[in-house]
Amino acid sequence: MKKRFAFLIAIVCVLIIAGCGNGGNNSNSGTSGTASPASDTPKKDVTIKVFQFKVEIAEQINALAEEYEKETGVKVQVETHGGGEDYGALLKAEIASGSEPEIFNNGGFAALVPYMDRATDLSDQPWVSSLIETSKIPTTVDGKLYGLPMNVEGYGLIYNKDLFTKAGITEEPKTLPQLKEAVEKLKAAGITPFEATNEWWSLGIHLVNVAMANQPDPAAYIEDLKAGKQTIKGNEVFKQWLDLVDVIFNNAQDNKVTTDYATQVADFASGKAAMMLQGNWTQGDIDKIDPALKLGLLPLPINDKEGQIYVGVPNNWIVNSKSAHPEEAKAFLNWMVTSETGKKYLTKEFKFIPALSNISTTAEDIGQIAVAVQDQSKTALSWNWDRFPDGVTQGFGAAMQEYLGGQINRDQLLDKLDKAVQDIVKQ
Amino acid sequence: MRKALGIQENWAQSVNRKSALRKVFSIHRGWAQQIVFLGPCLIFFLTIVITPFILGFYYSSTNWNGLDLDKAVWTGSANWSRILHDDNFWSSLNFTLRFTVVSVVIANILALLLAFVLMASLKTKKVLRTVFFMPNVIGGILLGYIWQFIFTKGFATIGDSTNIPFFNLPWLGTPNTGFWGLVIVFVWQTAGYMMVIYIASLAGIPKDLIEAAKIDGARPYQLFKSVYVPLIMPAITICLFLTTSNAFKMFDLNLSLTKGGPGTSTQSLAYNIYSEALINNRYGLGTAKALLFFAAVSIITVTQVIITKRKEVSA
Repeated sequence: MKKRFAFLIAIVCVLIIAGCGNGGNNSNSGTSGTASPASDTPKKDVTIKVFQFKVEIAEQINALAEEYEKETGVKVQVETHGGGEDYGALLKAEIASGSEPEIFNNGGFAALVPYMDRATDLSDQPWVSSLIETSKIPTTVDGKLYGLPMNVEGYGLIYNKDLFTKAGITEEPKTLPQLKEAVEKLKAAGITPFEATNEWWSLGIHLVNVAMANQPDPAAYIEDLKAGKQTIKGNEVFKQWLDLVDVIFNNAQDNKVTTDYATQVADFASGKAAMMLQGNWTQGDIDKIDPALKLGLLPLPINDKEGQIYVGVPNNWIVNSKSAHPEEAKAFLNWMVTSETGKKYLTKEFKFIPALSNISTTAEDIGQIAVAVQDQSKTALSWNWDRFPDGVTQGFGAAMQEYLGGQINRDQLLDKLDKAVQDIVKQ
Repeated sequence: MRKALGIQENWAQSVNRKSALRKVFSIHRGWAQQIVFLGPCLIFFLTIVITPFILGFYYSSTNWNGLDLDKAVWTGSANWSRILHDDNFWSSLNFTLRFTVVSVVIANILALLLAFVLMASLKTKKVLRTVFFMPNVIGGILLGYIWQFIFTKGFATIGDSTNIPFFNLPWLGTPNTGFWGLVIVFVWQTAGYMMVIYIASLAGIPKDLIEAAKIDGARPYQLFKSVYVPLIMPAITICLFLTTSNAFKMFDLNLSLTKGGPGTSTQSLAYNIYSEALINNRYGLGTAKALLFFAAVSIITVTQVIITKRKEVSA
């Protein structure tokens, strides 16, 4: 009896192991079977895996994937990891586990370097000619384009127009002295001027970029920083930038050190504060709370000159050449930016400011903040954080959190920002 | 005669062979059983724990970025000398040590207290034991997010309506509240489990020993120090070992509750290793740190077990 039982278990074990082996073989044969170029007839057995970053469009992109499957028969399986999650780490873990998603997101510049083995040259794609020129920069390497810019986004100081009127502010503050004046008026009217957040990315990426982008030549400055030829401490722009940081931090809500992104947007949308440093990606979340809120976008000034908003490509779609179906992935991306359904989703559902000039938008589709971003994008300054290798902006964020909590002073902050760069760059 | 002898020999041989066969077979059967029952487990243990551990020695001397192993370059002891000058690593070691000492002490005292209370004949004994044990069943990540909500939203709301200063602290927003926030959740999660071990151990103490001590006039403190503690020493060894190693390896709570923030003030050693490997793209350096981490955990827990084992007595 015992023996028979043992035998039975042994068989089960063998079956399980054999089963695993078979699974592996199947996926291998799938790889070789679809290496041929895409044909006109829909291939029902093809699944494209998309590993994407924007939580704001998680539901909508799933709907888009279903539309694509209806039209072509190709399954698109979307996994969304962003917001509070660490997208870069998760993507790395996914690839390390042997699964190669067909399409993933990448910010370009230094962030693209570790993935150059996987990035596929997309220069020959039909949509390349209609891309906005500046949106190509992050993923262009040696004259070849390796990514499809997801969209264009911008950030500045989003403000609540009704609260500004209530405080008697008639003209949009565009310089730092004007901003300080507006803050005083708001405080006099009993309104909290700023809703700040302790999120490392808002502090370490967006706020620090204000100082980077205001350098005479941001790209050269950052290269010098990385090479150790420049420092943040002693830099004139950073000194001025601290004034802006102080205006925001000193006039923010009481519990700023415990406010996460969701709380920040929710509090702002329910009228608890007049301004917040955020971008057009907050529109959807604001609409969920108060769709009737009248919103405007102010530039972020660092001195008595007129400030600017900051516009860039947040992310790019990269086709993974080491995946099973790179050609199908290209076809899906092409469909997304050229077909009527795809275009409709980009503007009406994702509420994206498209990076392609041939896609038209309206204010109702993409929202008030996005329209304001489009209006001011001509004078806007650039996004530069992806020029740093992974880990630097996290270091910036950690230092900024300490400054936000009042644990370090201005000098220590600048020291820590310098250290964040050197910690990663020096080998 | 010769023939008969031959037969006899044959017979003897065949008997010998038979018994030898039986012996071999029975040993074989033991092996077969062990392979069937332990084999699957062993395969997983070898592939998931042992192999990566051995490979880790190699990785720790390379500059592998976590993606392309073929591009990794042998760098010798560069990672090790780098760790020596890594302030973040040493400050997170400092944090982890402080955290371990504080939370191990609090968790064990609390668990022992709960065990004593729940040994008494309370009506709600069984329900309470379950309630205190429950947090241990919930996973650390989930617990972290639930408590993050309690700290930042729940405490703030209570603070607004009652004005008790404790609830009005900026929970998780400063290094101190971050530290104590982690301690609170860790203790809450582990105390129940340790309580169960202590209860089992207390229940095993012979009643006559305690009665004898009482008749001899032992006061409650003496009873505790000289009778209870020596007799539950095996449980104390286990509980200290479990809490020490868990506190030292704390990662999931750290990730979900504070993310090492504000700044890097509440970064545990495990979290520091994670961010080195996966955020800073330095798998080689991360692995070197992890090996150091392994050595530290081993030394600390083995020393602790040796010391407390020595104090164990039998009734």
